[in-house]
Amino acid sequence: MTTLAIPQKMARLPGWIILAVWTAAVLLPLYILVVSCFKTTAEIYDNRLGLPQSWGLDNFVRAWTRADLGHNFINSLIVTGGAVILTIVVSAMAAYPLSRYKLGWNGIMLGLFLSGIMLPIRLASVELFTLMRSLGLLDSLTGLILVYSAIRIPFAVFIFANFMRVLPSELDEAARMDGAGETRILFQIVLPMVKPAVSIVAIFTAIAVWNDFFFPLIFIFDDRYKTVPLAVSVFVGQFRTDWGLVFASLAISMAPILIMYCLLARQIREGVGAGGGMK
Amino acid sequence: MTKFRRTTSLQRTQQRMAVLFILPALAIYGLFVLYPLLMSLWGSFFTWKGLRMQEFAGLANFSRLFVFPSGARLYGALWHNVAWFFGIMLLQNGLGLLFAWLLFLRGRGAAFFQSVFFFPAVLSPVIVGALWRLLLAPGGIVEWALNGLGLHQGSLTVLGNSHTALGMLIAVDAWNWMGLPVLIYTAGLRQISPQVFEAAKLDGAGNARMLYAIALPLLMPALGTLTTLSFINTFNQFDIVYVMQGVQGNPSYATDTLVTYFYRLAFGAEGAVGITDIGLALALGTMLFLVLSIGTLLMLRFFDKRTVEL
Repeated sequence: MTTLAIPQKMARLPGWIILAVWTAAVLLPLYILVVSCFKTTAEIYDNRLGLPQSWGLDNFVRAWTRADLGHNFINSLIVTGGAVILTIVVSAMAAYPLSRYKLGWNGIMLGLFLSGIMLPIRLASVELFTLMRSLGLLDSLTGLILVYSAIRIPFAVFIFANFMRVLPSELDEAARMDGAGETRILFQIVLPMVKPAVSIVAIFTAIAVWNDFFFPLIFIFDDRYKTVPLAVSVFVGQFRTDWGLVFASLAISMAPILIMYCLLARQIREGVGAGGGMK
Repeated sequence: MTKFRRTTSLQRTQQRMAVLFILPALAIYGLFVLYPLLMSLWGSFFTWKGLRMQEFAGLANFSRLFVFPSGARLYGALWHNVAWFFGIMLLQNGLGLLFAWLLFLRGRGAAFFQSVFFFPAVLSPVIVGALWRLLLAPGGIVEWALNGLGLHQGSLTVLGNSHTALGMLIAVDAWNWMGLPVLIYTAGLRQISPQVFEAAKLDGAGNARMLYAIALPLLMPALGTLTTLSFINTFNQFDIVYVMQGVQGNPSYATDTLVTYFYRLAFGAEGAVGITDIGLALALGTMLFLVLSIGTLLMLRFFDKRTVEL
């Protein structure tokens, strides 16, 4: 059973070729990106596909310091980390009573949150800009953290509520008998039981926030507070002829996501396949 | 009696705790999402001076949207969004189905290919756009490769040519998100009972026929999810256009979309000296909001009706 007959193998060849072609279509641009990071502009033109002459880090150093990407990188880390933590904490808090108490208004409140999953928030950016200005949250990483959390809360509440709903009711009842307060039940008993939900929310919030470019574009004017995607969008125009530098800045900006993807590819595949919960 | 009182006191505690627990999330979500969105819808019925709301104007902003000079931009951008949507349905969700089917038939190595195909989807559209802008630039590697293969001569200007630019952006978007349909279709295919395929095979159905006659009808929920997501994303398209062609949707507005037009109206760069027109921007936002909401609801209903149960 393990070995297929030769004609059957032959019949499968065109399919394998199709899959291989798309694999190449994905990997080739990324390969070119990686090798170009180590080449000078002249070398990029002379030696298109080959490996670089030397693996010098010159382009990375120049991108990190001269183009000040290091600064943007730290901003992006702060915003992403802050938004992930804030989203998880407030969404888990909201999802706990909504999924496990009998309140009489669970359905309406859950519906209010869930309606936000599909809302085209970019179209509200004028009023959001006015609001942020009057709150003094323009040119502010805190402002970005609050906006991203607000956008990601609906999806996070949805995921947490789904996972918490199926936990046995004896779980919190027993803890309540032992005199545990509701806050302790949530953070010490319920939340550890829904770790998969925490990781789904953390992964997809981190990807969405790290990658976003629209809100920094309208809220951040001061170079000191720019995030990586915004900075890169400027580089592409500004350093147009310095290809090595631009390629290196692209590589730096995708590095954290690449590392995360290599470590968590399975969880990400399953999360998307199950819920289509991205974007 | 005591039991009754204990439950009510528990319920009272729960009501109080629920409010406390829900409040932070509701406050953030309400303040930064619901409030600006409602204010934007409301504001589209007023005249504006800069960022200051003036007086009630009824539907004046909306009627201005459709006539000169806004009309040409609006219809152009709308047409590009519609073309983008059908392009994505064909390129991304069509090819994605083929890839998912091939992976499903093979089984072996599916996880590897899925991971590779999905990788661009975790990258920022800004990074993807910037990368392809470098690759497709005159003097870039695609030009070099096409010249070397004899498929093209001279400088490659696909991004600067108004006949090809939009198609290139749609292809880049499809490259970016190809992994999504592959994952969603594969998850759908795995939910179909294997006996169904075995029975069809015994009846002599080929792979193509099995895909068309058996898998596709059962994949309606997956197709519905993908169509709805593609619709929403297409009509929110901004990042790739901004990075690859600029906020004007160059060349000569050939890649302009509704959201890039909205951005120019709201934050400048539309008109000779970059003057904003908030009234028009909000009217366009309200229109887009209606199109997206109604479109999404219709699509969900359409696919719900066509869902086949076995």
